[in-house]
Amino acid sequence: MITLTHFLLVSACIFCIGLYAVLAKRNAIMILVGIELMINASILNFVAFSRYDKTNYGGQIFALFAIVLAAAAVAVGLAIILNVYRQFKTINPQNIHELKD
Amino acid sequence: MNLSIANILDEIIASVPLLKPELLLIAGFIICIFCALFLQKWWKDSAFAACLATTVVLIYALVEQLGLSATGFSNMWLVDPVGTYARLMIAVSTLIIAIFIQQRYRAHNGDVYSVLLAATLGMNVLAATTNWLLAFIGIEIVSIASYVLVGFFADSKKQAEAAMKYALFGSVCAAVMLYGLSLIYGLTGDLDFRSAQHLQGLMTSPQAMVTIAFLFVFVGIGFKLSFVPFHIWSPDVYQGAPTPVTAFLSTIPKVAALILFMRLYKAWSAGGFYFSDLMVWFMITVAIVTMLVGNLAALRQNDVKRMMAYSSIGHTGFLLMSISAYQDTSSYILFYIFAYVVTNLAAFIFIDHIEQRTGTTELTGYAGLGKKMPLLFVCFTVVAVSLIGLPPTIGFVGKLMIFSAVFDLYGDTQATALVLLLIVGVLTSVISLFFYFRIPLYAFLRNADRQYMEHRGSAILPLLAYVLTALIIFFGLFPDLLLRMLG
Repeated sequence: MITLTHFLLVSACIFCIGLYAVLAKRNAIMILVGIELMINASILNFVAFSRYDKTNYGGQIFALFAIVLAAAAVAVGLAIILNVYRQFKTINPQNIHELKD
Repeated sequence: MNLSIANILDEIIASVPLLKPELLLIAGFIICIFCALFLQKWWKDSAFAACLATTVVLIYALVEQLGLSATGFSNMWLVDPVGTYARLMIAVSTLIIAIFIQQRYRAHNGDVYSVLLAATLGMNVLAATTNWLLAFIGIEIVSIASYVLVGFFADSKKQAEAAMKYALFGSVCAAVMLYGLSLIYGLTGDLDFRSAQHLQGLMTSPQAMVTIAFLFVFVGIGFKLSFVPFHIWSPDVYQGAPTPVTAFLSTIPKVAALILFMRLYKAWSAGGFYFSDLMVWFMITVAIVTMLVGNLAALRQNDVKRMMAYSSIGHTGFLLMSISAYQDTSSYILFYIFAYVVTNLAAFIFIDHIEQRTGTTELTGYAGLGKKMPLLFVCFTVVAVSLIGLPPTIGFVGKLMIFSAVFDLYGDTQATALVLLLIVGVLTSVISLFFYFRIPLYAFLRNADRQYMEHRGSAILPLLAYVLTALIIFFGLFPDLLLRMLG
């Protein structure tokens, strides 16, 4: 029997993996992948919780919108990273430090 | 509640008039895209003209909505005077920023106006909702549009870097916020943060879960408002972005996010439950830390745009302070927002004009310029005075009203945290004197050590900034006029 707890556990794991990727990876595209994992963890949560919201289905609607917005953000993010690669010839955020105090 | 399709359709059709300004904005957005695609070959400024026309129509539609208080789309959309005034300010600022961009970047810029309109749409959504779904959509629309704006003119390394930092940091914050929202949805089963079911759910949930969910949600809002500790992106992005875009980033997205935060605070802070105490304490702590960090870090900046970034972080602290004293009247918050927006827009127009004339945004580069551009630097000094909050400017009246509101609240509640808030507020205003006054210090009292190539700047922009400066002094002398309008 798969209960709500299982869903939450899986989503928490995915969220942590995503957060790890964001903090540890040395490649802007891997960071975007991490962000995507974090968003998908939240979407899983929304859909799982939506089982208890049978009148409005707010969670499922939220999940749909979150998918669309995540796709848009990633598209813009990739375009920006491409532009960074043209200027710097690297996409490791640690090597990109023109702006600092 | 009857859930038949016919009833739902009737309600949706009945609420469409409430959405009229946003529908106009969407139409304008699409027209702008088409202008940039097809008309630009024959008429270079067609997209700009479409953008201007849209904002003017938008302002007209918003003025029509001024007295209205209503909800629509099953409580997802909320029109009330506070939100309408905020949207009006957003629309007017968009107009100014569109002119700013047009004057500054004349070539290959058709699409930038459609992106600007999209950002305005997102901000309107933020200022007119109490529903988490719409709030998240609004935040994401504004964020994505802002990433594009920062990277749009990407002709230098700095801009590309600023855009990347902004996009990555913003996306992470949005993802964390989304996770927090999913937890809140799980705890309450409802997405409207003012509804009884939502508050009921928060009251009965375990404290640890509520704390985690709250902190996650505040990450997203904190990113848009750039309060500490989610402010680290703003100095880099403000410095790297083109100056018109910096002017945009530092003013209107904050207005929209602040209105959302104000509604949230109003809904959640009342009552003595765990989550309301958490909200109040979070607010006061963050306000204090933000004011201190913003103003202290600004002291050691040499780039004017970077300094303005820290100064705007400091002002965010003030805005949070004004929310923490929010009881029933919101006119003083709107007044401070107005003061902040007008002053910042004027400051960035001056910074940009000087950058165009002399090619520098370094403070040391301002040395001796006061003699060359006397009127401009006198007005810039007035703007600085308003940012500090000294009379006779609008910034003074705004700060005074916030302080007195917090003091009134202290009289009612006797909470020591509020005294601390007041002390830090006054102290940081004094600190801000030192860095803002470096602008006139360099301009008037130091002599130029190098010669700059003189370029001719745009003629319209300084004129616009002089008008804004006149407004700063005018409403500083007669604040009643504005207050009566906002009241």
